Amino acid sequence: MPLTRPTLTRRAFVKAGGGLVVSLGLSSVLRGGIVTVEAAQENTLDATQLSSWLEVRSDNTILARTGKTETGTSAPAMYAQIIAEELSIQPESVSLVLGHTDKTPDGGYSAGFLGGAANLRKVAAYTYRALLELASAQLGVPIADLSVMNGTVSGSGKSVSYGQLVEGQQLDLIIPVSGDLPSIDPTNPIGITGLAGISVSGNPPTKAISDYTVVGVSHPSSGIPDIVTGKTKWSCDVRLSGMLHARMIRPATVGSTLVSVGQLDKSRFPNAEVVTRENLVAVLSPNEWEAVQAARSVAEDTKWTDWSGLPSSNNLTKEFRARDWGQPLESRGDVDKTNAGLANATKTISVSYEQPYVRHAPIGPYVAVADVSGDGTVTVWSQSSQPQGLRAQIANTLGTSVDKVIIRWLEHSGQYGRVTYGGDGAQADAAILSQIVGKPVRVQWTLQEDLTWSTTSPGWIADIKAGLDAQGSLIAFRSDWYSPHESDARLLGAVLAGMPTVTPKVELNNRLISTVWPYDKVPAVLEQGYSMPNLGADAPSTGGLRGNIMRTPYQRQQNFALESVINEVASAVGSDPIEFRINHTSNQRLIEIMKATAEEAKWQSRPSPQPDARSTGSAVVKGRGIGVIIRSGGHWAGIAEIEIVPNTGVIRVTTFVIGVDVGKVINPRHLKSAMRGGVVQGLSEALKEEVTFDSRNVTSNDWNRYRILTMEETPEIKTVYRSHDDRGMGGGGEAANALSTSAVAAAFFDATGIQPRRIPLTPEYVRTLLTA
Amino acid sequence: MSNFTLKVNGNTHTVDVAEDTPLLYVLRNELELSGPRMGCELGQCGACSVLVDGKEIRSCITRPSSVVGKSIITIEGLSELWAQRKSLSKTEAEEILHPIQQAWIDVQVPQCGYCQSGMMIAAADLLERIPRPTKEQIKDAFTNTPPSPHLCRCGTYTSIIEAVQRAANVMAD
Repeated sequence: MPLTRPTLTRRAFVKAGGGLVVSLGLSSVLRGGIVTVEAAQENTLDATQLSSWLEVRSDNTILARTGKTETGTSAPAMYAQIIAEELSIQPESVSLVLGHTDKTPDGGYSAGFLGGAANLRKVAAYTYRALLELASAQLGVPIADLSVMNGTVSGSGKSVSYGQLVEGQQLDLIIPVSGDLPSIDPTNPIGITGLAGISVSGNPPTKAISDYTVVGVSHPSSGIPDIVTGKTKWSCDVRLSGMLHARMIRPATVGSTLVSVGQLDKSRFPNAEVVTRENLVAVLSPNEWEAVQAARSVAEDTKWTDWSGLPSSNNLTKEFRARDWGQPLESRGDVDKTNAGLANATKTISVSYEQPYVRHAPIGPYVAVADVSGDGTVTVWSQSSQPQGLRAQIANTLGTSVDKVIIRWLEHSGQYGRVTYGGDGAQADAAILSQIVGKPVRVQWTLQEDLTWSTTSPGWIADIKAGLDAQGSLIAFRSDWYSPHESDARLLGAVLAGMPTVTPKVELNNRLISTVWPYDKVPAVLEQGYSMPNLGADAPSTGGLRGNIMRTPYQRQQNFALESVINEVASAVGSDPIEFRINHTSNQRLIEIMKATAEEAKWQSRPSPQPDARSTGSAVVKGRGIGVIIRSGGHWAGIAEIEIVPNTGVIRVTTFVIGVDVGKVINPRHLKSAMRGGVVQGLSEALKEEVTFDSRNVTSNDWNRYRILTMEETPEIKTVYRSHDDRGMGGGGEAANALSTSAVAAAFFDATGIQPRRIPLTPEYVRTLLTA
Repeated sequence: MSNFTLKVNGNTHTVDVAEDTPLLYVLRNELELSGPRMGCELGQCGACSVLVDGKEIRSCITRPSSVVGKSIITIEGLSELWAQRKSLSKTEAEEILHPIQQAWIDVQVPQCGYCQSGMMIAAADLLERIPRPTKEQIKDAFTNTPPSPHLCRCGTYTSIIEAVQRAANVMAD
């Protein structure tokens, strides 16, 4: 319950820019029942004030605020539905302020949709109760006799709308919150604490899921009409008076340091200037094309030291095998019981899986504008899925108070996890350059730069042992998973410029195993995770190939190995893959979604491989395979149907059936998009993606070399989902991408009798695999 | 620096830019259009596509000199294009969307949306050539039309196919 009765006050003055500054006075924040009093912070909203979250306007519309941003999953459409549901209004009446750090209260991961949804649901629920109290007082009708429809409160023949109740005044309410905004913390494995942001606490009465009328509808995304008409203002569209365009000149190798900057030909580039700070080199100009050409010219005779400290990507597995990984950083399960189980098994399968580096590879390379103004205010215009985290980082790098930093969020291409920790990108370049030149600076990365210098999802190897009893049941399972860490949140620009930035602490990150173990009937399970610093971590200028999380992180890679081994084991005991899974789990939701997905796929129950499996020849051979995953309350199954021509190694995925049970489906249309889009990303990883590098540099630096799925390679995708009112709400934005890999690998085995233990299944690799 | 007179979305503009400035930069910086976007500057992804005399070109690898005297259309000009096709008045034109834009909304195609300007341009080019394309023809157009595929990292391809078919039905009426 809220701590105070609702009151109405004269509308607080809101600055023209929309930034609500908590003016003189103190804000109080509840922490575990003890009210502490802190000085008001500049450019920060007080999360205990309702007005920081939500305004009821006299035209009966709602303006809501959240630090979460649009990352391409239409989460804001769903936030509007959730708010509207609790307030008994239509979602069209809700508009949202997203991301700006001085206009939104909560910070937190945009990736954490459910967390943001919970915050907004509770705020709306508190507001609903408050509005009912006000209505009751105004109408002289007890709350129990009031009902609300479309923002109008009625009872005993009287009625008043929310807008009328508020009447241009501001509804004040204390919202109980806990948590902190992100801040730099050297004791944290990523170097930033508070990334989960502020949570709204308490348990206000909320609408029962079975009473929902707005949640569950395919409410359209309000941002789409502007996208298709060209009215959206993207982060790449920001133009400021006096702004300089910048192109960066990057080190010659991952470990190069600057020897000398090339000459700028002022006769060719009269308005350009070169700016350097340690290993950060840029060419600036008021004219973008001049900046581009001048940068190319200067780069040609900029001299760097040589460095060749990477293993080539062809030797990645060898490199990982040669390493002494030490003790597992995380060990989940019973070591003795599992080792005993394996020792006593009638049959043991012992296999190794691997995958090279992959990366996020958005269509739009990094771009940002920064303005470090004379009074010390730093404004950065950028996409971000963690604006408060970015804010803390920029402040830290520039040596300024976080109060002075404002992040202005705008749309950009999807980032798929690489900015979840508030790091990376063009933002640091722009802020540093602006601080140096005293003007607004726009930094646009090139595609080659982005595919070379952004963070990656590191490669890995896994050793798995599965033990079976005489009846063919899985009785012991052990997995040891080895990969460089995924928590490098450093700002590349800061690293190159020798300026402060966070330090990833590999040894502190002990949460590597991300499987949600589905097969509870297996009595002995051990999963262990081993970590190491970035490949090339000793590179003097950049810290090597920086590892970061990527859509369905850790679980995506681990699930490929896990589900593939389950398929291998099923085959070894002559069991149909779905039957085998059903026999090893009591998870009814998982069983249900497997069956529903199988039905849609017209799955024929039989063991793999198929009776006419073939690994040679020029004729097409077909196969089908399944993978499952549980994540964030979602229960998923994915079935791939493929055709292979063994002689060419070319795989064609003909159909993919993807099923999910997320409990209550908030927005069917957007769930379907997330499912289909996720399958495409997953197939791209299963068939095509690999970051290649030699001893000096990433070499897969354009779309011909870092290949992603095209429309022609996209199969028919069938989606299976049903909404349930009694299973809560799970996340749907991730996990679809994790399924494609194991499903395709299983289908490959079904078609050929050969189990792939590595992706991507490029034609070259497949030919090697089939002729080995 | 040279002067170029360009006809963009029905309006005539004279710009003073270096001869080798990519058309993409001219459209975005001199004319402040936001539809065509920077993706690769190599002609590999399609994010920068615009229509020139009804045909898709990649503006990142096109020089202004090669499009002088031609009609350049970005997504900002699609409604007007359709209005002309249907002989609508200027006021009517302001109210409507091109069937491709409407289809993109109806199907809720964009996820992050960054590639979609180029996708809609490719759709406009395709539907001009093949008014009722099959799924295979759509896939072929978005993948094999030189110089390169249209890439979408969010994976909206299936939705794009549905939207193209939807737009085709409206336009062929």
